[in-house]
Amino acid sequence: MAKGMKAQTSPTTQAPPGPKEGREWLWSLLLGLLILGLVATVPFVGNASDLHTWTLIVMFAVLAQSWNFIGGFAGYSAFGNVVFFGIGAYATGLVLLANQPFWLGLIAGALVAGFFALLLGLSVLRLRGHYFAVATLGIAEAMREFVTVRDVGGGGGGLISLPLPSLDSYIRFFYAFLGLSLLCLLITVFLTRSRFGYALVAIRESEQAAEALGIPTYWYKVGAFVLSAMPVAVAGGLYGYWATGFDPDTVFNVGISVEMVLLTFLGGAGTILGPLLGAIAFEYISFQFQASGFTFHNTLLGLSIVIVTVFLPQGILRIIQEFGRQPAAGERRAGRFAEGVRRVRRFIAANGI
Amino acid sequence: MSDALSQPMESDAGHGDDDSQVSTPLLQLKSITKRFGGLAAVDNLSFSLHKGEILGVIGPNGAGKSTMVDLIGGATTPTSGTIFYQGHNVTGLSPHQRTQRGIARTFQLTKPFTGLDVRENVMVGALFGQRRLSCSQARRAADEVLERVHLVHKATFKGDQLTIADCKRLEIARALATDPQLLLLDEVMAGLTPVEVAQAVELIRQINKSGLTVLVIEHIVGAIASVSNRVLVLHHGRKIAEDEPAQVLSDPKVIEAYLGERYAQKHTQDSASGFSTAQE
Repeated sequence: MAKGMKAQTSPTTQAPPGPKEGREWLWSLLLGLLILGLVATVPFVGNASDLHTWTLIVMFAVLAQSWNFIGGFAGYSAFGNVVFFGIGAYATGLVLLANQPFWLGLIAGALVAGFFALLLGLSVLRLRGHYFAVATLGIAEAMREFVTVRDVGGGGGGLISLPLPSLDSYIRFFYAFLGLSLLCLLITVFLTRSRFGYALVAIRESEQAAEALGIPTYWYKVGAFVLSAMPVAVAGGLYGYWATGFDPDTVFNVGISVEMVLLTFLGGAGTILGPLLGAIAFEYISFQFQASGFTFHNTLLGLSIVIVTVFLPQGILRIIQEFGRQPAAGERRAGRFAEGVRRVRRFIAANGI
Repeated sequence: MSDALSQPMESDAGHGDDDSQVSTPLLQLKSITKRFGGLAAVDNLSFSLHKGEILGVIGPNGAGKSTMVDLIGGATTPTSGTIFYQGHNVTGLSPHQRTQRGIARTFQLTKPFTGLDVRENVMVGALFGQRRLSCSQARRAADEVLERVHLVHKATFKGDQLTIADCKRLEIARALATDPQLLLLDEVMAGLTPVEVAQAVELIRQINKSGLTVLVIEHIVGAIASVSNRVLVLHHGRKIAEDEPAQVLSDPKVIEAYLGERYAQKHTQDSASGFSTAQE
């Protein structure tokens, strides 16, 4: 009987040809390197203002790529990751004020933020879903308050003023951010191919099933949280020196947390290229608006959140993949577009817009 | 001469069997109780499961079958009582620790990792579980398991592109990939067509033949009777019968629990067959 069954379901005769084995990671890596390579030409082809803009764009890319580890891969919506940005900025700032080298400050920031993420993760990662999101949201605000009241920076209200870096070092800041982004890209690619990454994806898809297959989910979640904290802290340290000073309201701004989440989802959470693409697309448009004189940034942010949650829950990358995939038998590309239009119409009609 | 040789061997084997049954059952539940508020989902349940057995567990909806799997798998902890596995007390262990010791389970509501393809789903079981293989070894192990459950032709399908029957197979495949000694199957035949049920029964037999001890929880009484060595019946969280399938299915208490008192009075003798068709 078993043999009969096996012959029936033999792959050559009955089964429809399944999708091809994934080589996506390789293409994503190459494409990511290409994008970063193109961005790397900004100091040669652009002026000082372009350099300023792209430094911030790449910084946001790093923030989104880091958030992707905990939010995209492990599926835990951390809404307070800006706290690591602030910790990194303050740790680096204090090290600089103590007349120690800058690189030491960056390392100190990463370590302090990593340790803080470990302690924080050990307590809040026992929570799931919305409870976790709410708990993390409170942390950043609490930290901002603490830094302000204790005047950690020593400049009044937590303000830190740093010495001006030399003029040509702005290019070095840009490449430091870019290198950090490259590092995050490599870590992401590693995650999609490794035991650690599989554990995180399993946790995102079903934590119960992940446990039942032998994954110590709690520790992997804590690991992902620490991993998502450290690059953000380095970015914070770079930002602090680059901006020659900052106050708690800037580096513990909840808006930065929101942007990390938005950029990741806009591009495609849990994908290799999503956060990078999302950050470049959104921040570039946003800076264009700013340059044209509108203070449109927050409107754009709000609108994007609505559009992403309603129409692109799986991000830009998903749409590209959808158009790239082999059409099923009897399906035409134009038909797929028409179906998309129908869906939008149905949505509009259903919501009475 | 050959007689003389075979004689002691037979008795030896018999003795060895007895010995293992008496000393350490693979799994033993000792007066396990699980309360949710005032309700006892599992009430003072005790039984043993021996190496190589297939134990079927049946019972009407809400009898506490799935809670029992959760208790053995570690997803919930009992209010009172002790669970022994290979002679060790595992009551306080978390689900992943139990899986790493060789207890694997499936879920009644299948939980495929939809972002991964079928092969990667199974790989996760091999990457962790009892073996902790490397990625390339896990890939090979996954292909072997997929071959065993006849799912290899769908290896590159995503977890959400599968039929119910294939989802159930995937659940079994992932559990097998953890390389368990004890497999807990929670309603893997629910929602399947009769042909698919027959295939599933055959698969469970094969799994058992390869050396695994299996605990099958099911609604479909006919299927479970044909595959199990022993059947245990739960009703309101209590064990109301535990015996060979034929005995259990003709037990008036069991028929009453399933089909009501009047049915039990009418059908006393050939109930087993009528019973199973009624369930399917």
